[in-house]
Amino acid sequence: MIRNPYMPQEAEILKIFQETDINYTFRLKTDLKVKSGQFLEVSIPRIGEAPISVSDFGDGYLDLTIRKVGRVTQALHNLQPGDKFFIRGPYGNGFPIDKLKDRRLIVAAGGTGLAPVKSLINQYYNDSLEIKSLQLLAGFKSPGDILFSSELEKWSKKFPVEITVDRGSENWKGRVGLVTKLVADLDISEVENTMVIVVGPPLMMKFTTQEFVKKKISIGNIYLSFERKMSCGIGKCGHCKIDDTYVCLEGPVFEYSKAIQLLD
Amino acid sequence: MSVDTKKLVKNAYRVTKERYLTALRVRVPGGHLDTKQMTLISRIADRYGRGEVHITTRQGFEIPGIPMSRMEEVNREITPLLDALQKTTGIDLKVTFEGYPAAGTRNVSACIGNRVCPFANYDTTRLAQDIEGIIYPNDFHVKIAVSGCPNDCIKAHMQDVGILGQVEPLYDSKRCIGCKACVDNCRKRVTGALKFHNFTVQRDHEKCTGCGECILKCPTAAWTRGEKYYSVVIMGRTGKKNPRLAAPFLRWVARDVVLKICENLYSYIDKHIDRSLPKEHVGNIVDRTGYPVFRDEVLQNVDLGERAMVAKHINFGGYEYHSNASF
Amino acid sequence: MGYKIYREKFADLFHELRASYEIYAPVTKKDKGMYSDTDLITYDKVESFTEIVFDKKTFFSPKEIVFPIRQTLFYFTEDSVLEPTKLEKDIVIFARACDINSFRSLDAIFLQNGPYEDPYYKKLRQRVKFILLPCDGFENCYCACLGTNITDNYSAYVDVRDDAVYCKVKDAYWKGLWSKYGEESEVEPRYVSKNENTFEIPQKINNSIFEHQMWSEYTNRCTGCGRCTVVCPTCTCFTVHDIRYDDNSKYGERRRVWASCQIDGFTEMAGGHGYRHKQGERTRFRVLHKISDFKKRFGFQMCVGCGRCEDACQEYISLKNCIHKISEIMAEEEKV
Repeated sequence: MIRNPYMPQEAEILKIFQETDINYTFRLKTDLKVKSGQFLEVSIPRIGEAPISVSDFGDGYLDLTIRKVGRVTQALHNLQPGDKFFIRGPYGNGFPIDKLKDRRLIVAAGGTGLAPVKSLINQYYNDSLEIKSLQLLAGFKSPGDILFSSELEKWSKKFPVEITVDRGSENWKGRVGLVTKLVADLDISEVENTMVIVVGPPLMMKFTTQEFVKKKISIGNIYLSFERKMSCGIGKCGHCKIDDTYVCLEGPVFEYSKAIQLLD
Repeated sequence: MSVDTKKLVKNAYRVTKERYLTALRVRVPGGHLDTKQMTLISRIADRYGRGEVHITTRQGFEIPGIPMSRMEEVNREITPLLDALQKTTGIDLKVTFEGYPAAGTRNVSACIGNRVCPFANYDTTRLAQDIEGIIYPNDFHVKIAVSGCPNDCIKAHMQDVGILGQVEPLYDSKRCIGCKACVDNCRKRVTGALKFHNFTVQRDHEKCTGCGECILKCPTAAWTRGEKYYSVVIMGRTGKKNPRLAAPFLRWVARDVVLKICENLYSYIDKHIDRSLPKEHVGNIVDRTGYPVFRDEVLQNVDLGERAMVAKHINFGGYEYHSNASF
Repeated sequence: MGYKIYREKFADLFHELRASYEIYAPVTKKDKGMYSDTDLITYDKVESFTEIVFDKKTFFSPKEIVFPIRQTLFYFTEDSVLEPTKLEKDIVIFARACDINSFRSLDAIFLQNGPYEDPYYKKLRQRVKFILLPCDGFENCYCACLGTNITDNYSAYVDVRDDAVYCKVKDAYWKGLWSKYGEESEVEPRYVSKNENTFEIPQKINNSIFEHQMWSEYTNRCTGCGRCTVVCPTCTCFTVHDIRYDDNSKYGERRRVWASCQIDGFTEMAGGHGYRHKQGERTRFRVLHKISDFKKRFGFQMCVGCGRCEDACQEYISLKNCIHKISEIMAEEEKV
């Protein structure tokens, strides 16, 4: 019998953290070895399956930060710690850790785009990522949509973290505006030695990347993480194909020099 | 000049506003004709008329301007038309050189049907010819039209008997890709008889008109054609008294049922017609006897089949000149 | 080895073959055409040799034999996930060269692409033997332009002419069966050597084609029904979804269903964001996949030139016409 790559494994929920009104982080008990930027196919039998990026991982667990937007994610939000759901993976390439080595890294994240880069940032925070410096630019729709607030707080004590929201609120004292504006205002000291990761909604990624290019960052030093419809995660279903590239196989993280060729 | 106008009318001519001139109505069952007959019609119009023809609303031709004195010549000349009528409809006219033997029962009209139209659920031309074969020649004033599908392009709803083609759509869920093209189309263009549930299409037979559009929309042949059926609408009419659309009488009946009820209709008329009047339209007879009598007599000895639905009551409606109108 | 077998003898051979195999071949499904009083020519399981239609192209391709339109991946009970286990006979498919060649593309996706073989596909695919049919070409075909007019991938070849069936048997396992019913004869497969439609597929397609206005024509013409992809012998996209049975909500299944890049929702993610909203963009995606993207990845053309997409298109959109336009645009760019 051939191994069935579609067969999911059961995983128990250890903890659930509420991030925002509609975003929850599910901590799963698992020994799966994952890399930052990879994703899992998450499923609940009789409801469906959906690709979800891994937001963090550690010894014997991994985190999935899930937004309540579809059939599957809706159902996931009805679960409690101790309940189980199904996973298979990890899939995709993840972020190119080796290429980041000893470089200055700027991460620009939009909304839930912060989830796939969270583990990478935490590695730096825990001194297990060998990079020279890290700067985080994060944009959210509104103050109520800010993800990982306690982490952001914690991180900002160690490295520059800039947060902006599209729409402020009465109590919001921080910046209002798009991530692109944060990039425009950046003063990048070692342009050639700077690597950039951009993750977020398609338009945010498009304009933020263009902004970095204006800042003379080489297109070979910018990485983007794509989000596409996927039904398999293993290069069969065809939904995520762009040109001759399968996002689930060669991505979801692409060097901008490659991403620029991937026209939808 | 002495002319028996009763005989003239029975002969499919008419009394016109121009004294001593008449017009001949040529029957074209199903509105389908081969070009040889077209040529003959054209020749008659040139030789005996004014070199013009009128296309009637029932899909026949009317050749105006024929001198009444030449009717016998014309009758001889149209022999090939009557021969062709015998051939296409299977009628035995006995004599074909003395003109049309009756004109009361009108030409059976039909939309172009499935010989051309993708929507049509059957060969309307053939059915029109077969109905003509059963009901012609006859003096009773009856109008019948057949339509390939419930779109009713031929306006069967304006006839005494209107026949609309139906098909039972068969669904094979194993072939369905869930594109919902059928469901969306049915909701937008038809009666919303289809519903998408659990990645499978469900059909509400009560709502389904049998139009077959789901089959046309389906890219994978998950929907295919089942049996052919017909729905029958009755007693639609125009006129000065009480114009109205035909009302549903039968649904999901087979072709032989359609032919049989056309035949029975004439026995019903024969039994109930008011012979004190010069002529009586079948719709008025039904108004007099009531629908149940009509239904029971027309369906006599008819095997309706398992799927058939018969209207329990009919409220014909329509309007009258002085009521149901606001000015 | 070649054989000449009289028809009635071949019927016996076929009968014997049927004892060991499920046999699929082009058949006529009476009155099952989309329009009333028309037939559907398609692949189906056949019981007797006389059911096979030798002189018409099938509307649908044979891909559904190994890649069913709907396929159950798992059955769910209250507390278990089960794989379907039904064992079937080996499969024989009567097919023309283009259709046999289309399995190369299916194999590339299901067996080569990515780190895993698709077990559901493989289970069916490994049971397939082909019986090659001769071909004289049909409307809209252009196999000879792609080299898919010829194949070596068959176990036997059959050509029905007059009162006899002329066969060539390559599969050693089958030679005994064939020799039992026929006399030896020199038989070589008959292929299309030149189609009515001849053209070259452009070797290099520049990214400039993406922005070209040629696609806007398809935005106006294409209705997005997906027929071109469902009839295509090489289209393999699918979507996975779960079902909860109506009569027992604790039970259900996970299945895959054919998907089409031409139909709404192909790229749409939870939350509503999607790509390629215009039909012209979808046409471009499909056409370039067939004649360029796939080749870049696997080294051979995906399209086998069967012309089914054109046969099936209700808007009379022609893939070969589109390829021709791309060629002209590329040639023009080359000049500049």
